[in-house]
Amino acid sequence: MLFPQILELGIRKNISIHFNSFPIAATNGIRLYHVLEGKFEWAIHSGSYVLYPGDVAIILPGHSFGSSEGILEIGSFAWIHISVQQRDGGEIVLGKWSSLSESESQAIGKLLSLNNSPVFNFSDAGKIFKSIQTELFNQEIGYHSRVNHLIDELLIQVTRQLTRQNNPGRDFPKTFMNLEQALRQNLSHQWTVEEMAALVGLGSTLFNERVKNHSGFSPISYLINIRISEAIKLLKRADISLTDIALETGFYSSQHFSTTFKKLTGYTPSAFRKNHLNKK
Amino acid sequence: MKCIITIELGTNGVRVFAFDLDGKVIGSLKAYCPTFHDEPDHSEQDPEQIFLTMLYVLKNLLNDTIHPKKYKVASICFSSSMHSVLAVDKNGSPLGNAITWADNRANKEAQALKASPAAKTIYTATGTPLHPMSPLLKISWIKNKDKERFRQTAKFLSIKSYIIQQLTGECLMDYSIASATGLLNIHKLQWELAALKHAGISAAMLPELAPVFASAGKLKKAYQGSLGLSADTKIIVGSSDGCMAILGDGIKGDGKATITIEDSGAVRVMGNKVLQDNKRRLFNYVLTENCYVSGGPTNNGGVIFEWFAQQFGEFKNPFDTEQSMKELINEAAKVDVGSDGLLFLPYLLGERAPIWNANARGAYFGLNIKHEKIHFVRATIEGILYEIYSIGKLLEEHRSIKSLSVNGSFGTIPFCTQMIADMFNKPVRLRQNFHSVSNGAFLLSATEMGIYKSLDEAVQKVELPDQYKPQKQNHVVYENYFRIFERLSNGLINEFDSIAALQQKNAANKKVEGIAKNH
Repeated sequence: MLFPQILELGIRKNISIHFNSFPIAATNGIRLYHVLEGKFEWAIHSGSYVLYPGDVAIILPGHSFGSSEGILEIGSFAWIHISVQQRDGGEIVLGKWSSLSESESQAIGKLLSLNNSPVFNFSDAGKIFKSIQTELFNQEIGYHSRVNHLIDELLIQVTRQLTRQNNPGRDFPKTFMNLEQALRQNLSHQWTVEEMAALVGLGSTLFNERVKNHSGFSPISYLINIRISEAIKLLKRADISLTDIALETGFYSSQHFSTTFKKLTGYTPSAFRKNHLNKK
Repeated sequence: MKCIITIELGTNGVRVFAFDLDGKVIGSLKAYCPTFHDEPDHSEQDPEQIFLTMLYVLKNLLNDTIHPKKYKVASICFSSSMHSVLAVDKNGSPLGNAITWADNRANKEAQALKASPAAKTIYTATGTPLHPMSPLLKISWIKNKDKERFRQTAKFLSIKSYIIQQLTGECLMDYSIASATGLLNIHKLQWELAALKHAGISAAMLPELAPVFASAGKLKKAYQGSLGLSADTKIIVGSSDGCMAILGDGIKGDGKATITIEDSGAVRVMGNKVLQDNKRRLFNYVLTENCYVSGGPTNNGGVIFEWFAQQFGEFKNPFDTEQSMKELINEAAKVDVGSDGLLFLPYLLGERAPIWNANARGAYFGLNIKHEKIHFVRATIEGILYEIYSIGKLLEEHRSIKSLSVNGSFGTIPFCTQMIADMFNKPVRLRQNFHSVSNGAFLLSATEMGIYKSLDEAVQKVELPDQYKPQKQNHVVYENYFRIFERLSNGLINEFDSIAALQQKNAANKKVEGIAKNH
């Protein structure tokens, strides 16, 4: 197969209202829809949204999408369905066709799955859709690589646009609070600075500076601080093993957990637990 | 060479200072620690996160500055924000997060107590206003609404008690923090039985009381090792941030008051008498025996200007609120005193002193067609400071005030300090880049060590070199607008109630819709 990642690609101009069409369904790929003309009312993952020209809808694997009334309104839109792999933990990663590095691909998967607003305005998506179609139609020299690159490009730009839209760049304390919540909810994930930065719509350089300025911590120190705070709470309960605590709070081994814990608190995790339970 | 370290546990984070024995700052560090608002009325902090943040900044300051310069740490003195409540079980493990001063979940409990005959007795005995901030009412809330947590609770601590207990094993609460719980009789310096009964607890469920100078035992071995501190490092239990802020400015005795404006703010006086306000609008907290810090707090300080900047300021760089605020202040300076008749009520977060109205809301008043954006900027700052002025006026019903000191990040912006001097028509003193709370903790430690004979002698040493003189003609303009500000604040009670009720209803509807949407 030349393009195993493209499940479907299309453009549709609807000149009359269609009833009993566009039913809600879920698939395994990532689906992107870009509205060119008209106005559409779509249901995405149990929310309902109105899309206008320039809007993009992103539907994640397993999420349902369609028209809740079974009506397709007048207008036109383009779409692409991209096949992705899902790991056991549900993480989305791109296939071999992608030239993104492993960590970049993971980060994009993570950011897309953390996103709560599946509809956003992004007119430039239209240009990329158009280029993909042109490449596929003309089949000029190098078109195979070009198409793969353009799909990478589409996913990168969509992710950037999403995170920027979710963070208007004014209230850093609030943005930082949202980040803290995302970290706490996914504490076992091996967060990278790039992922954390992208989550609040910043590049790593500016992100490092803003976090240090606001919190007094580097992003990684701040993350470790949360990890150890949670670990302390778990250590105070006698019923969870040290290995489980380490994994649950995002350390890749109990050794790594132990050294980090000792460095911060002066105790090894087991000594800390013993010291606390002895007080009974 | 010996040095003194001070640690402030605040709702924005932890701040550590090191002083030499002359009171000169050797170094300082601060780190952020979040406040969580899982429900609109809730405001909580994670006690373990505060503890780790404290260890992190303390360790960094020691390793970066104190150990390399070969200082020996004589003592570590604590201060913290007031009114926090942390329930712990019989093993000393926290039952959930600590509830901070800004938490309003006990609003119903507060209304009920206010309306009951016990209100007068409890306020007069404890000096703490009957408001959801008061631990007395927070504990009542846990008793009424979170029965399981109440049942499991062995002790109700303050955040500071918990942190010190982690370090040394001692479970103490200083009279200062205790006097802000609504549970301490500030005249007899013992737990007030009527208040304990109201909260449904016994004295055994509270930490042991201790003077602010008390030592809280030795650092545990592991912390001596990891911090590089010796076993004889004295851990001083210390006081509250509010008491430390006025102590640190050296403001003690007649004719003097301190204005603190950070995110929130307060106007305080310190003296040997409790101020009895028959409308129960003032707090009276204990620093030491026969030394009371009295005054009124506001919710709506610098946080309101930050809100304004985030909504209406220019952001040339993403997230650079500081620059945005600077530019706005430059704009505000171009507008005449009084903002050409545009008034702002700053009660976006409800208000405490002097109106004590949780339903109060913000408003711009007097708008005419000639007003421009820059008038809003100046009016916003003036409104925040009219509120401060109204607390000052309330205090002046009890004490004459001849001069002021100002501290806190918002209050010490020169534009704001001059405005305070003009509004109050009194000279204002301050020291730029000076952290009053930490200096208060230094003075307390130094007095404990015998460097000063008493706190009275210690406060004599504080110098506030910068002086702002009031401009009479500006005062007259402000005074005229302030009368309208005051009438609006008191006269809109019914409208405040109506709009707050609608806003709450709307928020509740949205929440229900949100839940429905997610299912």
